[in-house]
Amino acid sequence: MSSWFQTFSKVSAYLLGILWVLPLLYAFWAAFHPPEFATKFSLTAPLTLENFESAWDQAPFFRYMLNTIVITSLILASQLFLCTLAGYALAREKFAGRGFAFALVLTQLMVMPEVLIVENYRTLAGLDLIDTYLGVGLPYLASAFGIFLLRQTFKTVPQELEDAARVEGLSGLGIIWKVFVPLAFPTYLAFSLVSVSYHWNNFLWPLVVTNTEASRPLTVGMAIFGAPESGVDWSVISAGTLIAIGPLLILFLIFQRRFIQSFMHAGIK
Amino acid sequence: MLKVDGISRSYGDLKVVDQLSFTVNEGEFVALLGPSGCGKSTSLKMIAGLEVPDEGSIHLDGRDITQLSPGDRKLAMVFQSYALFPHLKVEENILFGLQARKVPKNEQKKRLDSVVELVGLGDHLQKKPGQLSGGQCQRVALARAIVAQAKLCLMDEPLSNLDAKLRNEMRTEIRALQQRLGMSVIYVTHDQVEAMSMADRIVLMNDGKVEQVDVPEALYSKPKTIFTAQFIGSPPMNIIGSGEDCRGIRPEHIEISEHGMPASVVSCDYHGADTIVLADVSAMGEDQKLIKIRYPGHAMFAPQQRLAVRWAPENEHTFLI
Repeated sequence: MSSWFQTFSKVSAYLLGILWVLPLLYAFWAAFHPPEFATKFSLTAPLTLENFESAWDQAPFFRYMLNTIVITSLILASQLFLCTLAGYALAREKFAGRGFAFALVLTQLMVMPEVLIVENYRTLAGLDLIDTYLGVGLPYLASAFGIFLLRQTFKTVPQELEDAARVEGLSGLGIIWKVFVPLAFPTYLAFSLVSVSYHWNNFLWPLVVTNTEASRPLTVGMAIFGAPESGVDWSVISAGTLIAIGPLLILFLIFQRRFIQSFMHAGIK
Repeated sequence: MLKVDGISRSYGDLKVVDQLSFTVNEGEFVALLGPSGCGKSTSLKMIAGLEVPDEGSIHLDGRDITQLSPGDRKLAMVFQSYALFPHLKVEENILFGLQARKVPKNEQKKRLDSVVELVGLGDHLQKKPGQLSGGQCQRVALARAIVAQAKLCLMDEPLSNLDAKLRNEMRTEIRALQQRLGMSVIYVTHDQVEAMSMADRIVLMNDGKVEQVDVPEALYSKPKTIFTAQFIGSPPMNIIGSGEDCRGIRPEHIEISEHGMPASVVSCDYHGADTIVLADVSAMGEDQKLIKIRYPGHAMFAPQQRLAVRWAPENEHTFLI
């Protein structure tokens, strides 16, 4: 019975995995072969890099990539900084209204960011930040998820470690930096991965708030590039997609083991 | 050197430490002894600055440190769980405080070398605490406290996580280190054997209050209160009589002889070097009916067996009520 169930779940897992990876495999196929093979499978199809060349020439991918990297880094750096301080305060500092503040953070977890697009746009327009890096990043500079995650991790740090650091003469910020941050490293790694992949792939908000190449990230660039009015060339679009996801894909493959360990450790699934 | 003057601490309605006063002299090993929950750890935390007393004052070398932050007091502390930083190597753990206080690198190196030799950690400097045994972790914690060269070293039940054999070894070792380096130490423990064997003086606490402050011998031979009499010594002192007429007599001072008070055996507990005989003395009209007698060697008295017990009058204790 249980061995039958194990076989079943294994087969299902493989099926789901293959189903999930199919679009990616197709993108690889289409990108590395001439356009006439985009919808035709043949083992003798010649390999080519032309699609990458034409995609790279047709759209400012380099600029888009730079924008995405800057925006993602800006968001990540600010999230790590703010969530660390907030997480520490909520986990260790005793202050009036701590429970209420934490409840507010949790409430924010339940609000879909898309609901706020119009209001956020109005605010950013008022701040004159439309079509800037800061404009794309501002709504995400703090993360309720990150605060929650770090608070939970910080809560598990033994009080005696903190006491020891205080007796040894470390300041409050020193304790966070030298004791809490290193101990929560797996959580930081797991959170960073979630955050980077979310913001690297984020589409709707950047589409709304960017107008020009100056701040437009890859996702929006790709959408414009592949829009029907410019003619659908699947091979070139696939090549563009690979360019867009390439850096993340390579990063993940290199650090795969580390990432998965972190996720297990941080208890995120 | 350290003067603790009437410090108190309450959590809500519960008074954990009540008007605690004692002093520690230069180079002295003082044990804070008492049953669990008597407030000894809280007292230590107040001296360390991790807790703030509600009232009273703490002076170190004549300076009032009552409100000072823990780091500014420049004390060293050894924790029950060792409190080693798991992400740092042994070497970094030992030097943690010196780095935080920005002691020059060559000075750090010098102190590290000498302290590593003292506690014998030479082969383990590059390991992480997770790779060490309990005893080795204890040594790292000790090294971290010694390397600070603090005026006063606070130890919070540092041996309670070790097994019995290792505990005995470390006890001797800590005491030897303390005397060799002339350290002033406050040592919190609930284990009377640790306190009796290591300390120059013992502060015996009960229910947040000081019960008696004395050298170990006096605590044993001249207990001022019934609590002290029954806390120190194993098995504890027998208390017979009640009220004004209350007297105490140590189990080893009771003799089993031909003449004396009548008693009947309840049970015998053989301990190797001696036997603890539980005897019923209610026949002599005492309220406290059962007493324990330490009988040298192996004795096998049958239950209900009639005995006569007696003791020298000078071994009888009376207490301040």
